[in-house]
Amino acid sequence: MPTEVLLVEDSPGDVRLTQEAFREANIAIKLHVAEDGVEAMEFLRREGVHADAPRPDLILLDLNLPRMDGREVLALIKADDKLKSIPTVILTTSEAEADIVKSYHLQANCYLSKPVELEVFEGLVKSINEFWLTRAKLPKVWQIT
Amino acid sequence: MQNSISHDSDARYRGLLEAAPDAMVVVNGTGEIVLLNLQAESRLGYRRDELVGQKITTIIPEGFAERLLADGTRSAATALAQQIGTGIELSALRKDGSAFPIEIMLSPLESDDGILVTAAIRDITVRKAAEQHLVQTEARYRGLLEAAPDAMVVVDEGGEIVLVNAQAEKQFRYRRDELLGKTITSIIPQGFAERLAADAQRSAEDAMAQQIGTGIELTACRKDGSEFPIEIMLSPLRNDEEVLVTAAIRDISARKLAEVQLQLKIDELSRSNEELAHFADIASHDLQEPLRMVSSYTQLLARRYKGKLDSDADEFIEFAVDGASRMQRLIQDLLIYSRVGTKGKELLDTSSERAFQLAVGNLGGVIADSGALVTNDPLPDVCADEIQLIQLFQNLVANAIKYQKPGVPTVHVSAARGPENKWMFSVKDNGLGIEPHYFERIFGMFQRLHKREEFSGTGIGLAICKKIVERHGSTISVASQVGEGSTFSFGLAASTQT
Repeated sequence: MPTEVLLVEDSPGDVRLTQEAFREANIAIKLHVAEDGVEAMEFLRREGVHADAPRPDLILLDLNLPRMDGREVLALIKADDKLKSIPTVILTTSEAEADIVKSYHLQANCYLSKPVELEVFEGLVKSINEFWLTRAKLPKVWQIT
Repeated sequence: MQNSISHDSDARYRGLLEAAPDAMVVVNGTGEIVLLNLQAESRLGYRRDELVGQKITTIIPEGFAERLLADGTRSAATALAQQIGTGIELSALRKDGSAFPIEIMLSPLESDDGILVTAAIRDITVRKAAEQHLVQTEARYRGLLEAAPDAMVVVDEGGEIVLVNAQAEKQFRYRRDELLGKTITSIIPQGFAERLAADAQRSAEDAMAQQIGTGIELTACRKDGSEFPIEIMLSPLRNDEEVLVTAAIRDISARKLAEVQLQLKIDELSRSNEELAHFADIASHDLQEPLRMVSSYTQLLARRYKGKLDSDADEFIEFAVDGASRMQRLIQDLLIYSRVGTKGKELLDTSSERAFQLAVGNLGGVIADSGALVTNDPLPDVCADEIQLIQLFQNLVANAIKYQKPGVPTVHVSAARGPENKWMFSVKDNGLGIEPHYFERIFGMFQRLHKREEFSGTGIGLAICKKIVERHGSTISVASQVGEGSTFSFGLAASTQT
């Protein structure tokens, strides 16, 4: 079973860059993209065109998004019994203390700032792959019993 | 005829005259003196026989005749009722020719020879002198009042205006006579009474000592109803009968306006400063985003296609990568620079020794690579933002190591007591040195003295140092000799503990 990652990111340049970085890090990863918060929730709830969407093993969430921003998405995920156990990593350009505090308050699993340098960014994606998708033990059965 | 009064009545009347406290002179219908008392002799300096038979004008040259005439039109009873205290003031002449002020009261006296007039003459020299003194004092006070640069208003205990100066007329746009008798509340509607009550609690000395500059601010009202801000100072003025209050009233419209304008300017300035700081933050953050794309993708291009296109393409890509990464550093430095002001922490007691050691620790790699010898004297506790102090040392030491000539670079940091409770720090190196005409320029933004190939960097390091030192209320300067090395000096306030 491939590793499924949902990337919630509105900038096509960043999407592509992340795809490239994951390709370098782990070819087995299947990266799905939602361009805003609304689409991310549709994907996670398998609504509309996303009826057949897989349940992701990891969510990479940008904070500043059109329509519904990352903070709202995070709040919805962590309030949803079916979704709350999916590790949600904030990946954003914001370094504002307020955003960091708010994200952890909303139960983000981790907060990462996008580095400016390409090589550093690639290193970060490698770390994400290594920690969240390789070393961390994630639940296989997510249905609450 | 002077002796035509009957003997009996003459004797009785003479007795009465002599008993009177005033000088008494009796004059007949033609204005001749027929009788006088001892008081009259001594006051006027004549012997009795010298005056009897003389015209009254000898001793009272003017006014007596007119007085007589006036009194003649009244009934005797009315004339008698007239009190001497309300008598008319004239001038009397002594035998030696000297004059003195008198007040006289006349009363008719029926006799066999027709109507005689008894004149009671009171010497009022002393009273006149006192009055004169009072007038002079008042004139002096009035002079002072008029000379005052402020509007002056004297108020009695009932709050009625009793005296004003020309400034007051001008300021309140009333004529003097319109102001006199008005209550103070018609020109200062509120606060004056309260002020007065407050002042009454203090001694006159305290009140006097109060400077107008520290006076209370009230609102005054002109004749046309327009209002203007004033500052008033009150001082009590005691005389025998009552306490008057002198109020010095200064129109502070201009000052108020200046204050308002100053505040507007301050607000405007802090707003534009805030906007600027905000702008630098936003600009550097938002500029970084597209730049990150340019930089990342040119790097990807370089990595994947280097050697696969022609040599021109490789060179172009290299320039694009270099330009993007330099711009990134500039933006990051700009952000650091702007945050010295906007993200600075409170200045607290800080060990500069510790800050220096942390800076040296951060520069571990650079120091090791260059083989530099970085030393220091014991460094004092100062009042500083520790993060910024570390940054300051770090930039200065890194600079010292960077601009080196062949040989072992040495950097020495020391501190000595300076003026105004400050420590003067020195960062001394044995490097290239700087030509004097660059001393100012090196602290500017993005100023570089060397070609990019010789030394990398954006040229903002010393500008950041300058901004940090200035934020700490001090200045930074450099002394240098080309080929010998440079010494950067800056002050920091001593710790409050020492």
